[in-house]
Order: sequence, then structure tokens, then C-alpha cells
Amino acid sequence: MAFEPAPLAATLNRCQKIGIIGIPPLAVIRTANEHSLVIHDLDEPLVHEDLETASPFLPRVYCAILRTAVVNALHLELDAIYVDTGPGKCDCALHTATILAEALPIPVICAKNMDASAYGNPLCQAKLSLLTRMIAITAGVKSAALYHDQPPPSAPTAGFWGVPPRDFSILELFPETTHIYGWARCMENKTPADHELEAQFNPEVPTVFFAQSFCAKTALARYLARKHPHALYLDVDVHTTNSARAKVQAFLELSGVKP
Amino acid sequence: MILGDFGTSYCKFLDLANPEAEPTIIATNELPRETRVDLATGHNGKRFATRYVNELIALAKGGETMIEKKDYVLLDCGSRDIKFIKYQNGKLADMGWNAECGASMGFTIELLKRYYELDYTGLQVPGQTFYVTCGVLGMSDIFDAVISGVPVTEAVARFVKGIAINAYRFAGSPARLYLSGGLCDNPLFVGSFPCQVTPLGRFVLLRGLEAEARQTRPQAVC
Ligand code: SF4
Repeated sequence: MAFEPAPLAATLNRCQKIGIIGIPPLAVIRTANEHSLVIHDLDEPLVHEDLETASPFLPRVYCAILRTAVVNALHLELDAIYVDTGPGKCDCALHTATILAEALPIPVICAKNMDASAYGNPLCQAKLSLLTRMIAITAGVKSAALYHDQPPPSAPTAGFWGVPPRDFSILELFPETTHIYGWARCMENKTPADHELEAQFNPEVPTVFFAQSFCAKTALARYLARKHPHALYLDVDVHTTNSARAKVQAFLELSGVKP
Repeated sequence: MILGDFGTSYCKFLDLANPEAEPTIIATNELPRETRVDLATGHNGKRFATRYVNELIALAKGGETMIEKKDYVLLDCGSRDIKFIKYQNGKLADMGWNAECGASMGFTIELLKRYYELDYTGLQVPGQTFYVTCGVLGMSDIFDAVISGVPVTEAVARFVKGIAINAYRFAGSPARLYLSGGLCDNPLFVGSFPCQVTPLGRFVLLRGLEAEARQTRPQAVC
């Protein structure tokens, strides 16, 4: 189902700054780019406010990414928020959109992203720090432009499967030759609802299957980790704990993955 | 070269320069602040050493040197956390570290011993058990049982058995496991596992550090 462009242009005409939760359809991003709007990716920590300020709206035991999105939405002065509530995101985001729509004086627009044209995965397979690549992939949601500068692919020595974590510091533990799989790969490909792509992994390389605590993807991560011959399943909430960090370090080192 | 395993309740040391020396042990709250070692592990270790090895790696390397099998599960029960390493065909197959929930179990067993002045060597493994996922939360089961007339020794024994069963499940419910940590000296705890247990004692991580030190030590040039 294509996203309805007419009301979209009318809404965005009145905006200067919009927030996005998940990956809204490319039609939204393209129009926002054409209107030179500032786009804030609310899934990332953007304001220095306590996560507790989300607690009147969302339970404390809830996906940390969406709690972060609520904190951002409450503290940034936005003109509208677009939330992907399609199969590329989750029910948690749908409910968050409902709550924000009532709490905020701005339009909170649910948009089901069914985009299926593949942009490719140059960064997921490149040789570069995993942290740098994940930052670039997440920044990429704010642009509808095609990928022109494609870094050459590398031979993988490890895998990171999952969503971009709430706390990126865990990514520093991986070598540059780590390939990215899971929803982060769908994100770069601009097909967030491609469940087939999301479920892909490379059985040849030791892989960490990561999910945010309290996310439904924990089930998929653990399921795939059990199918993979050399895997570590990991879920992390707001911050990467010392034990999570130690597990990744030990897993990579004991699996013979060179730093 | 001095190695140190800095645990929550106890710190263990080994001096590689003295091949005859046995590991030494000291209560963490009696540790001199100026203590320095060359290679450390344990959750307090980074403060006392120039080089640090994380506890899971130290445990795995300790297991590799002490266990002559290719398939095994090694479980370490510390004061504040539990962790395990599983090897299959001589390769790492699974691991886990539970420091958040499931925490403080070893610490609570020590605490109860002092509070009720118990000697664990005299306690029988009970038929019943408490369902324990956390040392702190599990204590309320003990108090409830004691209030309802269960003898203190029986209530504590059920709690200890609950901890053993929780740790066993956390390690993947193996038919046999190797046990590391101070709780190896607690016969009630060891006997409470519903599987075959081989206690390796409290110096497994130190042995892992030793393996790490020997592996990375610069070779002498003749
Ligand atoms: S991590 Fe999971 S629960 Fe959180 S926003 Fe993403 S899909 Fe939804």
C-alpha cells in the first residue's frame, strides 16, 4: 500500500522540523527532503533528559528505544511526528504513537512503510569500524538519496545481527570486518518490513544476535542464534552492562575473531 | 608476575615467580588499597592492575587447563553473579553471565550462614526446594517458611537447593557440570545440583590468568 502523498505534502508544507520513529515510507522522507525540513530520528538519544521523563507515558519495563523516542518528542520542539506502524516496526511503536498523539499538541501520523525497492547494503559489508557504519546507517533514514559512494565489500570475520542498539558503545567491541545483518540491514536497504532479509545470517562467521530487552525481536534473535552454528544471543536494555560487554568480548576472543 | 582474581567477597593471588607457591586468599574488605598486580580479573580487578582479563575469558581459559575433556559445561558461582562456559568438540559453544537478576546468590548464602550461625557441612540436602531466581528475593521465602514453623536449617537448605537448581538451569541443565568458586566447599550446595558435579575449587579463574600470562609472555631470546 503506497503512502498517500497529497495530505503528506499539505502537512509537511506547514512544518520546519519533524520527528520520525522507525522508518516512515520513503514518500515522507523524500517530501521532507524536498521541503528542506529538519528531520530528527527520535529513536536515538538526542536530548540530555532523564529517561524517567518517559515514565508517565510508557511503563519503565518497555523498549528503551521507544522510551527514548518519547523523551525526545517531549523535549524537542517539533511540528509533526511520523511513526512507522507497519510490519517493519512493532506494536510497541503503534501504542507509543497513540499515547504521543494525545500527549502532544502536534500531529502524530501513523504511516505504514511497505517500501520494497532495495537500496543495497554497501555499509553492512564494508570494512570500517562497526560503530561508524551503524551511525551512517541510522543517519541514512533521514535521506531518500541513492547510495553513490559505495565502499568495497570486505570478507567477513564476524557478524552483528539485530537493530541499531540504544547504546552504541557495544559496537566498539567488534572488528572492522564485522558484517551487519538483521533489521539494521533492512534499514540500510530501506526495506524495513522485509522479514526475509531480516532473518538472513552468515553461518560461516561467529555472530552476535542482538535485540533490545523487552522487544519482540528477542524471540527472533534467540531463535536464529540457536540455528546458527556459532552464535551468542544478547539482549541489552538502556545501557550496555559490564556483563554484556564481557560476554561479547569473550565470545569474539574465544571464537578466534581477531580484533 | 603476580596474578589477582578480585572477587566481591574474596581476592585470590598467585605469584608466578615462585613456582612452589600456592594461591593465597584474602577477604576483599581486608585488601590493602595499595595492592597492585600484573594481571587481574574479577569485577574489582581493573582498579588494581595494569592488565585486565575479563572474567568469562579467565573462566574459559581456566577450564581449558583444568578439564581434560572436549565437551563440558563449567559453571562459576560467585558472590554476586553466576556465569558458565560450554565447550563442544573443544570449541566454545555457549556462555552466559547473569549479574543482574540471579545476582547475589553466593553472597546471600554467606550472609545466612553468619546470621543463623549455621554450619553447612552438617545440613542435609532437603527434599523440597524454594523457587529462587535472586538471592535477595529468595530470602523472603526463608522468613515466610520459618514463620510458618519450618526449622531454620530446613528453610535455609531449601533456599540453597533452589539456588543450585537455578544455577543448573541457567547453565543449560547439563547431565554433568564442573563447578568453580568458593561454593565448591559447601557440600549442601554441591549436593543440591540435580546432576553430576565435579568441584574444581575457587582458583579456576586464577588458573585461567596463569594460562593467559604464559601465552602472552615474551619469549626469552637465547
Ligand atoms: S527495538 Fe523492538 S520494540 Fe523497540 S522499537 Fe524496535 S522493534 Fe519496537
